[in-house]
This record gives sequence, C-alpha cells and structure tokens, in this order.
Amino acid sequence: MKKGYVQVTDSYERIIHWTMAISCLLLCLTGLGMMFQSFNFIGYLFGGLKNLKLVHNFTGLIFAVSLLMAIRMWWKEAGVFVFPEDMDWIRAAGGYLWHVDKVPETGKYNPGQKAFFLVVAVFGVIMIITGLIMWFPTALPVALVRWMYPLHVLGFVAIFTFFFVHLYLGTIGNPGSVQAMFSGWMDKKVLTMLHPKWVKEMEHEGKLVAWGEEKKSDAHGHSA
Amino acid sequence: MSTKPELVKLIDTTLCTACRGCQVACKQWNEMPGLRTKQVGTYQNPPDLQWNTWTLMRFQEYRDDDGKFQWLFRKDGCMHCTDAACVKVCPSGALYHTPLKTVGIRRDKCIGCKECIAACPFDVPRHDAATDKVYKCDLCYSRIEQSVPPACVKSCITKALTIGPKDAMIKKAYARVAELGGDANVYGDKFVGGTHVIYVLQYKPEVYDELPVNPKVPLSVIVWKDLLKPLSLLTAGAAAAGVFIHYITHGPKTPHDDGQEQKGGE
Amino acid sequence: MNISRRGFLKMSGAVGGGVALSSLGFNLGPARAYADELNKMNRVRIAKQSTTICCYCSCGCGLVCSTDKATNKIINIEGDADHPINEGALCAKGAGFFQMTEANEHRLRKVLYRGPGGTAWEEKDWEWALPRMARLIKDTRDKNFIKRNAKGELVNRCEAIGHYGSSNVDNEECWLITTVARALGVVYMDHQARVCHSPSVGALAESFGRGSMTNHYIDMQNADVILIMGSNMAENHPMGFRWVTKAQERGAKVIHVDPRYTRTSARCDFHVPLRSGTDIAFLGGMISYIIENKKYFKEYVLNYTHASFIVDESFYFKDGLFSGYDAKKRKYSKDTWVYEYDANGVPRRDMTLTHPRTVFQIMRKHYSRYTLDKVSSITGVSKENLLKVYEIYSATGVPDKAGTECYALGWTQHTVGVENIRAMTLVQMLLGNVGIAGGGINAMRGEPNVQGSTDHAILYHILPGYLKTPPASLDTLDKYLKKYTPVSHDPKSANYYSNYPKFMVSLLKAWFDKAGTKDNDFGYSWLPKMDDGKHYSTMHMFDRMYEGKIKGFFCIGADNAVSSPNAGKVRKGLEKLDWLIGENIFDNETYQFWRAPGVDTKNIKTEVFLLPASASMEKEGSISNSGRWVQWKEKACDGPDQCIPVGEIEIKIMQAVKDLYAKEGGVHPEPILNLYWDYLDKDGHFSATKTAQRINGVFLEDTVIEDKAKGTKVVFKKGQLVPGFGNLQADGKTACGNWCISGSYTADGINKMKSRGKEDPTGLGLFPNWSFAWPVGRRILYNRCSVDLNGKPYNPKRNLLEWKDGKWVGDVPDGPWPPQAEKEGKYPFIMQRDGLGAFFGQGMADGPLPEHYEPLEGPLTKNPFSSQLINPAIEIFEGEMDKIERASEKFPYVITTYSCTEHWCSGALTRWQSWLLEAQPEQYIEMSDVLAKEKSIKNGERVKVSSVRGSVTAVAMVTQRLKPFTIEGKTVHQVGMPFNYGWLFPKDTKDDTTNFLTPTVGCANTFCPEYKAFMVNVEKL
Repeated sequence: MKKGYVQVTDSYERIIHWTMAISCLLLCLTGLGMMFQSFNFIGYLFGGLKNLKLVHNFTGLIFAVSLLMAIRMWWKEAGVFVFPEDMDWIRAAGGYLWHVDKVPETGKYNPGQKAFFLVVAVFGVIMIITGLIMWFPTALPVALVRWMYPLHVLGFVAIFTFFFVHLYLGTIGNPGSVQAMFSGWMDKKVLTMLHPKWVKEMEHEGKLVAWGEEKKSDAHGHSA
Repeated sequence: MSTKPELVKLIDTTLCTACRGCQVACKQWNEMPGLRTKQVGTYQNPPDLQWNTWTLMRFQEYRDDDGKFQWLFRKDGCMHCTDAACVKVCPSGALYHTPLKTVGIRRDKCIGCKECIAACPFDVPRHDAATDKVYKCDLCYSRIEQSVPPACVKSCITKALTIGPKDAMIKKAYARVAELGGDANVYGDKFVGGTHVIYVLQYKPEVYDELPVNPKVPLSVIVWKDLLKPLSLLTAGAAAAGVFIHYITHGPKTPHDDGQEQKGGE
Repeated sequence: MNISRRGFLKMSGAVGGGVALSSLGFNLGPARAYADELNKMNRVRIAKQSTTICCYCSCGCGLVCSTDKATNKIINIEGDADHPINEGALCAKGAGFFQMTEANEHRLRKVLYRGPGGTAWEEKDWEWALPRMARLIKDTRDKNFIKRNAKGELVNRCEAIGHYGSSNVDNEECWLITTVARALGVVYMDHQARVCHSPSVGALAESFGRGSMTNHYIDMQNADVILIMGSNMAENHPMGFRWVTKAQERGAKVIHVDPRYTRTSARCDFHVPLRSGTDIAFLGGMISYIIENKKYFKEYVLNYTHASFIVDESFYFKDGLFSGYDAKKRKYSKDTWVYEYDANGVPRRDMTLTHPRTVFQIMRKHYSRYTLDKVSSITGVSKENLLKVYEIYSATGVPDKAGTECYALGWTQHTVGVENIRAMTLVQMLLGNVGIAGGGINAMRGEPNVQGSTDHAILYHILPGYLKTPPASLDTLDKYLKKYTPVSHDPKSANYYSNYPKFMVSLLKAWFDKAGTKDNDFGYSWLPKMDDGKHYSTMHMFDRMYEGKIKGFFCIGADNAVSSPNAGKVRKGLEKLDWLIGENIFDNETYQFWRAPGVDTKNIKTEVFLLPASASMEKEGSISNSGRWVQWKEKACDGPDQCIPVGEIEIKIMQAVKDLYAKEGGVHPEPILNLYWDYLDKDGHFSATKTAQRINGVFLEDTVIEDKAKGTKVVFKKGQLVPGFGNLQADGKTACGNWCISGSYTADGINKMKSRGKEDPTGLGLFPNWSFAWPVGRRILYNRCSVDLNGKPYNPKRNLLEWKDGKWVGDVPDGPWPPQAEKEGKYPFIMQRDGLGAFFGQGMADGPLPEHYEPLEGPLTKNPFSSQLINPAIEIFEGEMDKIERASEKFPYVITTYSCTEHWCSGALTRWQSWLLEAQPEQYIEMSDVLAKEKSIKNGERVKVSSVRGSVTAVAMVTQRLKPFTIEGKTVHQVGMPFNYGWLFPKDTKDDTTNFLTPTVGCANTFCPEYKAFMVNVEKL
C-alpha cells in the first residue's frame, strides 16, 4: 500500500462480496449451460450436464446465504436513496454519460451503486425463491410452479445485464476502485472523486483510516 | 425408408375394454418394474401415471344428462405434441422431436431438472428420485423407427389403439366420430400444433378425468422461452456493448483529468 | 417351424385406416455383433424366436419368445402377429408373460421338501426326492388297495390317494398324468375342469353329442346377435371379445346379461342385470316367447331336432318334479323319460308337432309357466328389458341370421349348472343357430388346456376321449362295451359311437401294449372301477380328505386351498394327509397349507414335496384352446435350475414306482408293471413328440384298411401312425391314447398341430390349415345343420358348407355322408344315438327339461315356480363344516364370485407377477352405492364379509355398476368378490381366499361347485 490510501472496506464485507460474486458468476455460467442447448458444452467443465445442474443447485444455496448476509450488511448504506442528493446525481447520470460541471456529491454508495445493489437484492431473492421451487417443482400447484421459470429467467436478465455494468465500473471504468474489493484500501483522491461526501463524513467523524498516518513519514506521491 | 411419414396413434375410447394389455405391454417392452400399490376402491391402479407407468388405464363411472350410465375407460399417456412444451423447456435435449415428429426421450441426457413436468399441459412426464431422471412414453421409438408398432398398439385387443400416417388416422377418427354421433369428438388434432396421439371420445372432453379441455403450451413457457430467453442475451449483449462503447468513448474516470471527461461527453 | 419372420413384429393389423406403413419385417442383414450396444429392438431381432401359446384362459393366443442366443435366456415375449386368433394382441396377463420366465425371482428353482413337523422348506434334489416319493406312493397304495368292494365286485382301486390337476399343462402331460393315476388305481382324481366347465360337457353332449364349444373364437365375428350371459367375456376371455367387437363393427347387436355391470357391459349395446342364479327363469321365458310368438326356425326344428319325437305316456312333470323322483335318495329314476318307438325300433314322430306328447308340445307346456311377470319377479329384470332381449335374440330364428351365445363360469358354477346351459341349447336349436357360422354355444373354457385335460380325462368319471370309466358292475370288457355302445335302428342315424369298441380297445392297447391281449380283455380288469352310483369329484375328495380317509395327494398346477369351495374345510383336510406332492412353477397356499395363518405347524405330520416345473414356454408340447384347436408350442429355453416339465416329473415318478414294484412286488402290480412307458427321448428327457404320437395312435401290426363303399384298400405298416380315428381297430391292431385327437399326425408322421397356414378359403375365419382341430380338423361342429336337406346353405352369405357335385365343399363336414335328403344321407348330430338335436335330456340327473330352482343358499324361502325350493337332485353334504343358512337376516346379501382380467383363477400364478399385482393389488368386494350408504361404508374402506361358513376381509369398492334388485317385491342386494387372492402373497395383506365363504355343493349332474350364488353379510371393519 501506499501513502494517500484510505481503508474503504473491511474483510467481512470483502468476503461476502466475493462469495456472492463468485457464486453468482458460477450460477450464471451453469445457468447458461442449462438455459441454452447451444451452451450445453459448459457441462463438460463439470463432468456432465447433470453435475452442472447439481453445481447450480448447491451454488444457489451459497448464493442465497451470501445474498441474505449482504442485504443485512448493506441495506442501510446502499438500499435507501437519500433525497434530494441522489436525485441530483441521477439527473446528472453521475457524470458518466455527458459533461457535468460538478457531479452531485454522494455518500459511500452513489445511486447507481444503490440501484445495482437493489437489483441484485430484489432479483436475487426472486432467484432464490423461484430456484428453490424449481428444484422441488412437484411440491406446489403446477399453475404456480410454471411461472417460476420465467421469473427465474427475468431475474437472470436483470442481474446478468447489471453484472456487465458493475464489472466495468468497478474495474477499468473507474481505475483504482477495484482495490476496494481486493485490498480494501483506495487512493483517497479517487475515493474523493467518487464519493466526496463520504470522505468528508468520515473525516468529520474521525473514522477515516489512512495508510501510515501515525508515521506521517511518507510524502504525497502518485504512482500512475 | 428415405422419407419417414408423420405418425399418429389413434385411441378410440369407444372400443376400449380396459383390459390393460397396453399398460402391461408397455412395461414389458420398456422393462419397467411393477410397484406395490393399494386397492382404494377402483380398478384404476397405479392411481396415476408414474415413472414406471407410462401408459395408464383410467376408469371413471359416469352418468350422462339422460341418466344413462357408462363406465368410461381412457388410456392416458404422452400425447406427443407437435408444439411440445416439454421439448421447448428441456435444457439438455433429452426430450426431442424424432424424425417421425413424435416426442422422444434420450434418458442418458436427462438431468432430472423436472422442467418438463411443470411445462406439460397433459401432466405426463414423471420423475424417479432413485435415478433422478424423468420418464415418459416415447411411442416405442426403437420400434416405430423400424416400422414396428408400439407395444401398446400391438397388444390392443379390440383395435382401440391403431397407428398410421397422420392424415389417414385423422380421417379415420373423424369417420368414427360421424358414425358415433352425439357428443362424440376427436381430441388432439386441433391444439398444440396437433398431437401425435389423438382420441375418439364418446363424450365432451370436460367429462373425462384429468383431460384438459383446451390444452396449450403454458403462457409461462412462451414468456420464458420465446421472450425472456432471447431477451436475456439481448440485454446482456447490449450491456456489454454499452460499457465497451463507454470505455472507448468516455474512457475511465480518474481524478485530475476532468477535461478528458468533458471531451468524452460529446 | 415355418414362422414368418416378417410376421413377427409387422405393422399390419395394428395400422388403422387401411393404410400400411412400409414394413421392414425381419431383415437380419447388418445386425451388429455386440448385443450390449444394441437397443432392445435390435437385440430382439437377432435373438432366437420361438412361438408359444398363452397359458391362461382358453383363447389360445399365440406369443413369440425371443431368446438371447448367448445366454439362452428369454429377453422379450410379445404377441404373435401371424396368429389368427390374437393377431399379435394380448390382454394384461398375456402381455405380462415375461414375468413367468426365470426373470421372476419368485419362480421355484429347486425341489423343496418339508418333513413332518417341519416349519420351513428344505432344498433337496431329484435324486433324493424321487425314491422317497416312490416309497410313500407304493406304501400308501399297497396298504390301502381295495381289490373288491363291499358287494364283492372286482374294483382294483386305491381310495387313499387323491389327485388334482391340471388343466395348465400340455396335452401330452395330461395324458401321462391320467395314465399314471389309472395305473396306480386312483379314483379320487379330478382337476380344474370339474370346478370350471364340467357342466358344459354334461349339457352340450346331452343336447348335441359332444361336450365342447360348438364354434370357435374367430367365428363370433360372423354373428348377427351375440348374447353374453354367464360370462364377463371382455375381462375373462379378452381375446374372444376381440371377435365380438369385430361382429359389432359389422353391425351385430351385443347383449350382456349379468348381475354386474362389468368391462364387458361397457362395450355391449346394452346390459341387463339379473340376480345370480336365475338364468333358467330368464331363458325359460325366452323359450316360451320363441314358441308362442312362432319365432322358431321350423324347418330346422323339424328336420334336425327331435322336437317331433313322442315321449312315453308315463312321463310327467308336476310341481317342480319330473316323474321318477325318489325323495329319500334325492335321485331320479329315468325309466319314464323315454320315447315311443315303432316296430323297427325307430322313434315315432309327429311332424305336425301337434301331438300333446311330442317333445315340442311338452316343452311348450313346460315353459308356458315362465310368464313375463313371474320371470321378472324372480330374476329382478324389468319386463321391458326381458322383452327387449327376447325380441332381439329371437330375431335370429331365420335362415340367414345367426345368433351366438357366449358363456363361461357364470352358468356352470351353480347347482343347476348343466341345466343353465341346456336351457340355452334349447333356445339355439329352436332358432336354428347350432352348426352354423356365427352361431352355436360358445362354452368359453377357463384354463389354457382345460379342453385338452378334459379330452384326456384327468377326471374320475371318464377315460381319455370321453369313454366311460368302468363301474364295478361291468366286470368284463364285453359287458362294458355292450353297455356303452349305443344302438340305433334308424338308418338315417350315423350313431358314430357305434365305433366305441375301437376307441376303447385302442386306448387299452396304448396303455398296456403287448401285455394287453384279447384273452385278458386287453387289461380291462386292471383299470380301477368306481362303485355304481358313487362319485369321486373334487368336493367328494376333500370331503373324504377331511374325514382322514385320503393319505396321499398329488396337487399339480393347482391351488385348492384358495380355489376349492369351502376352503376352510379343504385346508383342514390337507392337514390330515401323510404326504402331498406338488408340481408347479410357483409356490402357493396349498403347498404351504402347513404354514397358513392359525395352523399348528409343528403338529402337522404331512411330508410335502414341491417339485419345480418348467413353465409353459420352457417346454415343447400341444395345448387345446376352447375352440378345440390343438396348437403346438415350441420350447424357448430350458427351465431354470432343477425345473423340468411336468411330463418328465410324471415319467420319473412312475419309473421309480415301477422299479420298486419290479424289485419288491406288491399289491396288484399288473397295471404298473405292464404299463407301456417309453416316453423319454434319447437324452433321457420327456419327449412330447413320442407321447403325442402315442395319443394320436399307431399301428401295432401291419394292417389293411378296406373301404368297401369306395372299393379301396390301404396298407399300413407296423409302427406307422394312424391318420385318423376312422382307422382304429377293435381287435388290438392299433394303439390310440385318445381317439378324439387321432389325426393330429399324418400317417407319414407330419405333426398337424404345428401347422401355421393362414389360408381362409371360406372367408369365415376357419383357418383350416392352422394347427389341428379335433375332430379331424372340423372347425364348426354339427356344420351339416347349416345346409338344408339337399345340402344347400341356409345362409349363402355365410357359406360354411355346401354339397356340390357330389362333394362337400367348405369346412370339414360333420360326417362324410351325403345330405339328409339323399338315400345314403344321415342326420346331422352324428354323435347322438338318434342323430338329432335333443331338447329332451334323457340322461340328465335333474330332469329332461331345465327348470328353475333357487341356489342352495338364496334370498327366498319359496320358489315361485314350484314347491321345490332347490334342485331336488343335488347331493347335500352334511359334514360339520357344511353349514347352510338361507334366506336369513344374518346373511342377507346375494354374492357372486369371479376372476378379473389381471389375475387368473386363484392368482397362484399372477399374484407373483408385479405388473399384474400392481394393477389389481388386493382383495376387494364390489357393492352398490345404495347398499354402501345403508351400511355407512365408504369407497376404499375395509370390510368383513362373512357367510355361515367363514369370513374374509376386503376393501370395499363402492360402485354404481351394481344395483339392488326387486325380487318378489322385496329389495335384494347383490355383491361380488374376486377369488384371486390368498394369504401367502402378497405378504403385506392379511386377506385370504373368498372361498372360505362358498358352500360345498355342486351341480346335480357334474358336481361343479356353486361359487356363483350364495349368501353373505358385509360389515364395516
């Protein structure tokens, strides 16, 4: 780590994020293998389509647990929009799509991130419920069971679509931000650019943990 | 045998004696076991289609509006739809349309997902927990592909079951219905693209137990397979393309270079 | 065998709408080498194919077994598409034939033995069992042999050994069984025919001359009206019903008269419910309707029946009794049931049918009492329904219409069993329906070879070929032949039984060969004789067994502990045996009587041997279906483990007994030591062919047969086969095990039973080149009735037979003589002494005309027709376990018992088969919704059913298919139960046989038990 970095996530957050992310990815992959016969070849990775199904079903359970924990953890920060600030940000599209003189300042999660979280939370829950019913389809009336399948796919459509956006914005779209989910530390400058309000809040509350602050030895520096 | 005819099996319920030769012949040919059942006050046993019972004789006591009593027999089993919901939903290609347009099943490919069970408008496929596979009639594909009648048809004593080219069988069914008169009707040729098993019924379809009056591929399956499935690829593709374009046009968002951002905003 | 490879699995027949798919047939071309890689279709194609005949009901359906050449195991069994009867189709039982193979874990595989006091089976082998069994047989026989009876007459019999079964084994095996039993001196010998169709033989032989089904299954397609009464045909003779539906397709009306609405009723034009046991009332009303409304076929009645015969003055009928009744003995003297003869000994006739003592007028008077009101009140059938049936059926009393009747055990299993059937023979003769295509009386036999086992007489009262078992009073062959060879002085009567001595002597020669000579009456005296007037039927046998008089018992292919009436008594009887020898393919309740619920196993001393037999398709041989087709079966594979054919078991047991007698001597050893016993092939196994040839008949010496009429002479060499019973000799030059079957081989040794020709020259479905049909290939009996006096067919549309240019064309004529009008012409019923159809049954035990009597146990206290409530000529068993309770409040419901499609008889074969058991898993009782409501019984609830003799549990099947009857103004409920279940298997129910309920009583003539009508109570459990 370097000077000028501040801690943005703790390990608990990161573990949950990655559990959810990996299980979700695996679910998408295995789900695709079953959804399209042209993707049946994915089954070979698992030693057959039947194993793929088992991997999908049990990964679903892991996803379900991690999602529920994630919701508990992030609900307050990412699940609630704060008006009017968030609305301003939305009107400006976070400054991603057109020029905005000053992007409205947001807290730890901007409305885009919140929206993604909500999509994952809501559709994730749908996926879990519909998935479980699909796993045991004979337990409920068939008229009900039948609608689980399109709902499951609908969830997939939403999550899968947002997944690309999330991947982009969390990595190359916002260089430096990916660190938040690896090391947990981020360049304060980047963080200030992306979440100025949060930085201010943390500073104000004295919660901001900066790299080597006690030592105060290193000068500001960039490593581009 | 270069061109295979489209085959239709006709079940003339008005000729059936419910001897259950078909029910047993099916098990014999397909090597399905008999399972222990209970007498619950009916000749119908097993009580429903099961993973080991692909063809089931249904017994039903019925008194019509004129007070005339009739014991109705109906051989139940796969209808082999042209527009087969099970084939639509089957993720692994285990259920498929054979060259004879019937619905075959490659059990080695079945992954036991049971999607077909929920999708079938006739409630036909059955899942066996021990093998985690789905079972149903395949109209004895190994036989019919060699021009040999299915086990049930061959066993039928009164020729209530017959099989032949589609047009001829439908014609035969309508001729029989005309002969029977009254409420007699042909069931199967008019929905799900036409089934490859059709009935001659003495009474209206609603009279018969477990027989859907207007079977269709469920709307949910259409929404799912015809709408959402392509949509998922479409939106995912659009999202992927969108971020790519954003990257090459806007580039990444970094501190100190607001100017570039401005540029990309055009 | 010439099985068409294309035919095995071909599409035709199954393809509808007159369109055929191109059939690949059986192209063996590029079959791949490794069977494992092939799908089932291809594995079946490269397997060995062998044809067999179904082993359940008597339809005689063909099956094809596919045997894997590498493992020699059967991998598939399905219908034989080439077979003219079933054309590839099969009912549930036939379709499940595969579960009779060794693939079924329940098959017997080893000799099983249970010693005195034993609590479980021990596995043994043949080497151990054969000498032990021979020892027991010999000891029991020697100790209990009866040389002379109480009157001092020579009887040479052993009453201490009983024998039952079987109609489920091949003809050749039946013949060996009958031979073994007679050689041992057994008189208590009987089999399923007794409890099944014995009344058919009694009735049909009385009326027409032969005891068998007159037509055959395929012929039903030719009928205009089909009356199914006394049968649940679609369920119990499913393939027969195929041809009923075929007739329906051609416009025939089909009527079902039965207490229950069944799967048969569902396919008939209409169903008429009648109370169990009232068929004679129903048919009596029909006879009266036909006569009074002049619906009868007058020319036929005049020329082909003895309606015009004049009955002796001393005959009378009064208040339910015919002349000659002895109330003490419950027997008739038949002295007054005779005709008047002219000076030449020819019966006197009144061709105007007006003489009050003509058979016609006597019959008319007798049935005039059967008014619609009375019949309706007794039977519970509405008058509208009665008239509807009478009208439709009697419309066939014209030359160009045919009506047929299909019945089975619904008519036979009554105290009036024979008379039920006789009543229908009267109807059929009045309407001119006998001997024509689409007509006749179709006695649908219940077992695969019960026709054959009856032909071969595993029965106490006859010898093979319906020859009479000698009674004690006839001590010489001469006396015997004199008594049983009928004499007719009417030149128009063929009186074919005048050849009786040829048949009898040839039979004795078949048994005793060289040891039987003219000087020793060909061994006649060695045969066991019955006491005059005594009976030795199934019920008598178990009665004696219950008294402890029977020590040893053979039970072959049967399950008496489930199937015999008053089963509680039967089981007690079995406990008193010293030894029991069973031969079967599955275990059953009879062989394990010592382990039945409530039995004190350790105190039962009986030694029990259960011998594992090969199943039907595991052996070669012939079986005879109900239509008298004697069909040859091929062997598909060996039986598993120690299994051998019943024929081989019989040969080995008898050989062991022979060896013992040869070594030690013993009582009356002649029939055993002198018995011709060369029926093994060169490998030491049972040879069905050798046995079949012995049955067919063989020339023992060079013989010249001269036909004086034709002026021909044919020379047969010693050892050549007899080409037909016309060549049999009364001087010992021929040996023939059963004259009826003679002609099943040609003189050159070609086995006609194997014939598979599909030609149908008449278009009537006779299939003259398919298998052999006795007699001499004739497909429809009495077929000379189908033509007028000049030999022209009455119905040219269904031309069965025609006299053309001095020759008969069509079916094999019933007698070669020219038409009746010609000088050399003969009457059509050639087996009758008088040559004509008999309305008046002179030989009947219970009266020459059928009369309604109530069942032994019925709901009424008074017979509305007379003061004779029950059949006055039935034998009443009065043992402590033979209780009766009629018209009692304790047992208020009429019950009938039966079988279903999915099981067969006692279920001793079918309960072990999971496919069939799955479809009909446990005991049930069918009852009307009205009764169920009255008793607060819901569908599917368990109930207790009891008669005065015992009780059983069952599941209630509440149905609209049964309805209460109004009988003599009162509501009478009818219930019904199958008799397919027993305690041994399936193991998870405690239900036991329905026959705990049934009474020990039988038909007055043939002792067929009254399973079909008695009284019970039903209570919710």
